[in-house]
Amino acid sequence: MDVVLQAPRNGIARLAAIHPVLPWIVAFVVLLPLPYLTTNNYQIYLINHIGVMIILATGLNIVKGYCGQVTVGHVAVYAIGAYTAAVLSVYFAMPFWITLPSAMIVSMLFGVLVGFPSFRLEGAYLALATLGFAQAVEVFIRVTDYLGSASGLGGIKAPVLFGFSFDTYQTYYYLMLPFVLFAIYFAFALLKSSTGRAFMAVREDPVSAAATGVNVRRYKLLAFVISAAYAGMAGALLAHMRPGYIHPNNFTIIEMVVVLLMVVLGGIGNIWGAIIGAILVTIIADLTRDLYHYQLLAFGLVIVGTVLFMPKGIGGLIDRYFVSRSFVAARDKTAERVRTQLDGDGEG
Amino acid sequence: MTEIIKVTGLCKSFGGVHAANNIDFSLQEGEVRGIIGPNGSGKSTFFNLLTGIYTPDEGTIIYDGHNIAGWEPHRIASHGIARTFQLLRMFTEMSVLDNLMIGCHCQVNYGALSAPFAPLTIAREEKVLREEMMDILQTIGLADYAHVTASEMSIGQRRLLALGRAIAMKPRILMLDEPAAGLSPVNVDNLMAIVMKLKDKYGLTLIIVEHILKVVMETCDRISVLDHGEKIAEGSPDEVRDDHAVIEAYLGKEMADDEVRQLLAS
Repeated sequence: MDVVLQAPRNGIARLAAIHPVLPWIVAFVVLLPLPYLTTNNYQIYLINHIGVMIILATGLNIVKGYCGQVTVGHVAVYAIGAYTAAVLSVYFAMPFWITLPSAMIVSMLFGVLVGFPSFRLEGAYLALATLGFAQAVEVFIRVTDYLGSASGLGGIKAPVLFGFSFDTYQTYYYLMLPFVLFAIYFAFALLKSSTGRAFMAVREDPVSAAATGVNVRRYKLLAFVISAAYAGMAGALLAHMRPGYIHPNNFTIIEMVVVLLMVVLGGIGNIWGAIIGAILVTIIADLTRDLYHYQLLAFGLVIVGTVLFMPKGIGGLIDRYFVSRSFVAARDKTAERVRTQLDGDGEG
Repeated sequence: MTEIIKVTGLCKSFGGVHAANNIDFSLQEGEVRGIIGPNGSGKSTFFNLLTGIYTPDEGTIIYDGHNIAGWEPHRIASHGIARTFQLLRMFTEMSVLDNLMIGCHCQVNYGALSAPFAPLTIAREEKVLREEMMDILQTIGLADYAHVTASEMSIGQRRLLALGRAIAMKPRILMLDEPAAGLSPVNVDNLMAIVMKLKDKYGLTLIIVEHILKVVMETCDRISVLDHGEKIAEGSPDEVRDDHAVIEAYLGKEMADDEVRQLLAS
């Protein structure tokens, strides 16, 4: 029984055994010199962009991957977060430390709104309902002069902490890093707890989940609200990044497809998967930016291909590698034990 | 013995079909009650009404001093009525242990969002729960499969797992919907032995819907018979076996005639 209770142990698990937060502090230290490994500003910009996408994809993974609710409204909530931060910064001269929490709170309110249809709709129907919402938000932004309409909203001020301004890509990275790590840590801790199990139960079988005492509506709504908080945080971080300018093109359905691709390719219901997906897709999308129209075709094909041939994504493959490795180890151990037992019997 | 649940005048219709028609039902604490009836007699509907999956049109269900008729399923479950499903409905992509951990969802004390903020406390609580669940797995004989994904289990193992998940809820009443369906005779006996072991260990009151009459006749203290959404008979296994209305429901009117029965018996 001891054997089965032990998860595969590696360096990270050993650190976590000392204190659950320790691996994250180590990750922070390891990632500190990253901007110095880049050769130009654009690469740092890309890293920052990957940070935003990791937060966004992790949020989507919670509601879609873990709770099983197919939402296309995530990008709209992301837009709402970004524009909330932008408006507060541009028109009301609020500092980042107020715009970020405000963006998250407003996003969470809209998260509730997006979550309500999930009480009645499932799968493709829910996707359609939220698609309507996403499209409506984008169009609303495009026609509202206050929000900069189709030409975008500029002049968003850089965050300032104790008189230090995060106004270059390099400094912004150091602002971003703690947020990204906290977002990942939060998802990990939450999804390993009873809340994460309840999400998965809702995904697997809502009737059965209810019969085992899970309040299905409450957990669906909770998943939507948490993922909205992630989207709001990602939006605010995007808005305040240099050059302090956001455009409705950042929040189109196509952008949503890209984020969806990150989660699907990385592995639905696998936190590391979504992060790997966010890194891969952002880099690949950037390298192939010249082939814009073919890019969409390729993304679509990759989504279909992943769903058909690799339903658990890259994360699933990695998981399987570790699981089969630990299985082989356990089998060898049992065989060894049986062998020594037999030898012992033979001698006796 | 005290009365644990009392149902009066329970009605539910789907369109023109009366799936439950004025059912009265009461259960003593510690009892093993069988529910039988031909296909479409309303057994599953009765189960679903009791566990809140359907809302009754009329009638009361008094349990633990509350009228639970019309409560949502998760609320009924959290008050100690656990059930299994005929089609199992396991969380197939989750491990066996996690399936049970969902079962004890209502026993988790920490808040839904507290996990990231108090990781050490949560880890301690989770460890206690995990050990309790391993104990249940040991009792039902699945401890070696704790980390296997539920979808990889055989039907017999999944029937056991369904039982384990229900037990993990620490229920007072356990409702089993065809627990032995699809099992070989040997496995049926094993399963029922485990059910009775669990009943004694956790002090359960059981309601069993089952098509295998041998199981019902051997294990149940009393049996209720449903037909067309109505309760047509109730009593000890022997009483029910000889009941005219029951035979009529199962075999048709002619077969219920004494002469025909004697002919069949000879």
